[in-house]
Amino acid sequence: MNTSLLAGAVLNGMVTGMLYALMGVGLSLILGLLNIPNFAHGVLYALGAYVMISGAKAFGFLGGLLAAIAAVAVIGAGIEYLGVRRLYRVHPDYILLLSFGLSLILTEAIILVWGPVGITFQPPALLAGAVDLGVTVYPKYRLVVMVFTAGLVLACYLVVTRTRYGAILRAGIEDKETAAALGINIGRVFTLTFAAGTGLAGLGGALMTPVRGLLPTMGIDILPFAFVVVVLGGLGSLPGAILAGLLVGTVQSLMTAIWAPGADASVFVLMTLGIIARPQGLLGQR
Amino acid sequence: MAEEDAGFASGVRACGGLGAFEAPSRSMKSAFPRLVLLLAAIVALPLAVRPVVASEIWIFAIAGMALNLIFGYTGMLSFGQATFFGLAAYTAGLMMIHWQAPLLVVLAAGTLVGALAAALIGYVCIQRVGTYFIMLTFGFNQMFFFIAYKWTVVTGGDDGLPGIPRPPLALGPLAIRLDSSLRYYIFVAAVFLLAFCVMKRIVDSPLGVIFQSIRENPVRAAAVGYDVKRYKWIAFTIAGAFTGFAGVLYSMMFGIVPLESISWIISGDIVFMVLIGGIGNLYGPLLGAAAFKWLSEAISVVWERWPLILGVALVLVVLFLRGGLVEAFTRLRDAAGGPRARREPGASVPVGIAAETEAGS
Amino acid sequence: MNTITRRHFLTTTVAAGTSLLGVPALGTAQGKEIVMLGIWPFTGAFADVGPLLDRGMKLAIEEWNNKVIGRPIKYITRDDETKASSATRRMEEAIDSEGVKIVIGPWSSGMALACTEVAKRRKVFYYFSGGTEDIAGKRCHRYGFNWAASPYTAMHVVVDNYMKLNPTHKRWYLFVSDFAFGWSVEKYTREAGAHHGIEFVGADRMPLGTREYSGFVSKAAAAKPDVLCLLNAGQDVIVSIREAHNFGLAPKVTLLNSWGVGTEDFMQLDVKTRENFWVGTNAYYGANTPVAKKMAETYQAKHNAPPGYAPCAAYGMTRLTLRAIEKANSAEPGDIIRALENWETQDWPGKVWVNPKTHQTVRDYFLLRCKKPDQMKHQFDFADIVAVNSEPKMPDGINECKDIGQL
Repeated sequence: MNTSLLAGAVLNGMVTGMLYALMGVGLSLILGLLNIPNFAHGVLYALGAYVMISGAKAFGFLGGLLAAIAAVAVIGAGIEYLGVRRLYRVHPDYILLLSFGLSLILTEAIILVWGPVGITFQPPALLAGAVDLGVTVYPKYRLVVMVFTAGLVLACYLVVTRTRYGAILRAGIEDKETAAALGINIGRVFTLTFAAGTGLAGLGGALMTPVRGLLPTMGIDILPFAFVVVVLGGLGSLPGAILAGLLVGTVQSLMTAIWAPGADASVFVLMTLGIIARPQGLLGQR
Repeated sequence: MAEEDAGFASGVRACGGLGAFEAPSRSMKSAFPRLVLLLAAIVALPLAVRPVVASEIWIFAIAGMALNLIFGYTGMLSFGQATFFGLAAYTAGLMMIHWQAPLLVVLAAGTLVGALAAALIGYVCIQRVGTYFIMLTFGFNQMFFFIAYKWTVVTGGDDGLPGIPRPPLALGPLAIRLDSSLRYYIFVAAVFLLAFCVMKRIVDSPLGVIFQSIRENPVRAAAVGYDVKRYKWIAFTIAGAFTGFAGVLYSMMFGIVPLESISWIISGDIVFMVLIGGIGNLYGPLLGAAAFKWLSEAISVVWERWPLILGVALVLVVLFLRGGLVEAFTRLRDAAGGPRARREPGASVPVGIAAETEAGS
Repeated sequence: MNTITRRHFLTTTVAAGTSLLGVPALGTAQGKEIVMLGIWPFTGAFADVGPLLDRGMKLAIEEWNNKVIGRPIKYITRDDETKASSATRRMEEAIDSEGVKIVIGPWSSGMALACTEVAKRRKVFYYFSGGTEDIAGKRCHRYGFNWAASPYTAMHVVVDNYMKLNPTHKRWYLFVSDFAFGWSVEKYTREAGAHHGIEFVGADRMPLGTREYSGFVSKAAAAKPDVLCLLNAGQDVIVSIREAHNFGLAPKVTLLNSWGVGTEDFMQLDVKTRENFWVGTNAYYGANTPVAKKMAETYQAKHNAPPGYAPCAAYGMTRLTLRAIEKANSAEPGDIIRALENWETQDWPGKVWVNPKTHQTVRDYFLLRCKKPDQMKHQFDFADIVAVNSEPKMPDGINECKDIGQL
């Protein structure tokens, strides 16, 4: 394998890895605080992408991004408030099944609104084209997305660890009852967190539209990988999700370059080995 | 013998009595009318829907019963049953294509493959509970899916494994051909009944009670002296065997093992069927499979967006009718009056909901 | 729902409901009507193609005034969902409930391999147009036919004629969709390439429906090819083309879509991404045959766009089938089959001959090169036909269909 190929694979890995980290962070927030495996996370990623392109037509690229985040966050909040909330007292398995049902509904809704055909989307002219990095030529937009997503992920980490909201969040993850007893409106925290987590997924989808294009099943495609990231990283651990996201993205990308047929399976092998070797995940506590 | 009884009895007592369970002796009496209904359904089904759809219903009913055993009765939600379904289907398919293996041999082989795979995978998965368990079953499913996808030499990849014959049923000197869809249906229905009876025995046995006690409260079950992990593993393995059996039947349905057989879409479908039918109830998966298959075919012919209706149904069931169709029927029957003022144990208390009431302890 | 009119919805609901309830579909004059089934993808990876195929088949039937040999034609469709299980289940259900004996479709080679099994077992006439050699090869049987050119012929037409025009382009990189279709066209691309001393500097197989082509394009770029040969299908072609441009690989390197749909893809690409884009195809609306010309006119008048491979294929198969029914004066599968076998006639692709030993249709295959914008005479004048040929025929010797079987 020559250096150009290796460089390209590493860069691809980082782009994918950042996306996975973003998805993992969102999922981890929801899973960690609410103990909910959100099976709708994938379709919300897809929804973000679709709202993005419609929004971009009306308001330009940035407008599309904002529309995507807003739309998905609102839907996420709605899901929590109207659906998930009713099931807290029941077994968490049911919340998983609820989210699964919602993912079906939303995927079909996407097809109804935007059609079943795949759509490609071009980045804004400012970010289009390729950059000669010496060792390899790489699309400009991907570099921008990689840097931006890294910043975003870092921002999430800082919010969760350094801000008051983050402290409340972490308190809630540790011990809901005590946090509620301390006067925190835990219900509102839940809704906000769900909205934030899903909003991140929507943003991820929106950012990736020029990279991966759109397809109604894009959510179903990415969901397993998001879960691998969260499980590998450690349920409820944000730094774990970030680390695992990068790891999974890189492994998948390198495998594509070395032995493409094994790329996807290798991710799950990685997860299985990870859980067997270190059951609490890379950086998980419980 | 006496010691065993005492242990069992004390275990059952410790698990809060038989209130919510299907007690063996009582279920014998109440079982009879329901069994008659089942036989009637088997006879009537191919007249109501095409034999092709009817056969699929019973095949997935078997897979649903298997999931019900681990989810409804033992409390473990597996999102990867397609692993065993698909592995058995591919095994059977390959045996029939390359070795012209006879029918009973492939059925046995598939069941064995399902059991073996479940034993191995289950051993890893049951080390964890809750979300981790679900993700592990899911992860293994994905792994095998991608292997099946890529190992095209063996599995045919995305195209599936075509050219699978339907070997005749050889009973001694007789060789009954199963070519027509109606004949195959009769065969599938017959083996389904067999599987149903076996499952009923398991569920009614002390083993079944232990499974339910694990779902109700694993800590208590362990405190009483049951090796919870070992029983979970047994349940998982049994479920794998049943699912494998169903997979073999599926491989002969269309003469091809499609890649979906091992995809998590089918894992999800099986979960839906059990949930919509009514978990924890022996007949739930049957209702669920029937409703799911019939509706999916009837609706998708007219409107491609059938999954939307499925999603809505699932959401409604999860929010408002967690006992599924079984609960719906029970409620209707109770609402219509009738002599059963007192709720019959087992049949009408959806085991899933029982978890709620136990939440306090 | 926009493809379904209310009347269509109501009639199919009643039909589906009654048929699923075991009652013979209301309104079928059993025995008099000839029921033709089109299995088309309306969901899944090929969801955009289903409606086009539907149009093509409808067009052919309408040209015959919905009647043949004095009997009315009933045209029904089923969505194969690009899933083998759905395709086979629905085909079988349609055979049981609607009395279908003539099946055309599906679109994906993978689905076809499943459907052909059903056709063989249920003894119904089956016509498919696709790139897998197996339908007229390993999986051949008396009831199944392939309308498309043999991938052997097709890849030769593409490779031989491309090399004639670009003799120095000896380094080829392949993208192959990882299923029956891809494997067949890859095999014969390599076989044809060997005759020209082409060096296949690399090849990647990816699942149909892959969205992430960056890794593959990076690898291709690193191998420094002259030609990036796209042996993939569906939207993958569009995605690979765009990604190749994103990474600066194209238009320097030729993009050659050896078994493509042509028009449908051209309409999705813009002028920049069509530069140096070559397509090999079974059907281009600019084909110079009377049938093709007329069909293109009618289609364009009706749908405001020229027909691509999909509707032309559906049209071509339906037309030949109807003509065979007329020739045999019967709609029984056996009679249609005997009428088609060894028939040499003029139809959509020009001269066609159905090889009775393999049921492969021997007909022309087209190689197209996209025009530069200043060469386009009108908005749909996407490409020049640089080569048309039905030779070389696939030698019976290397065809894996050794026994076409009995009726």
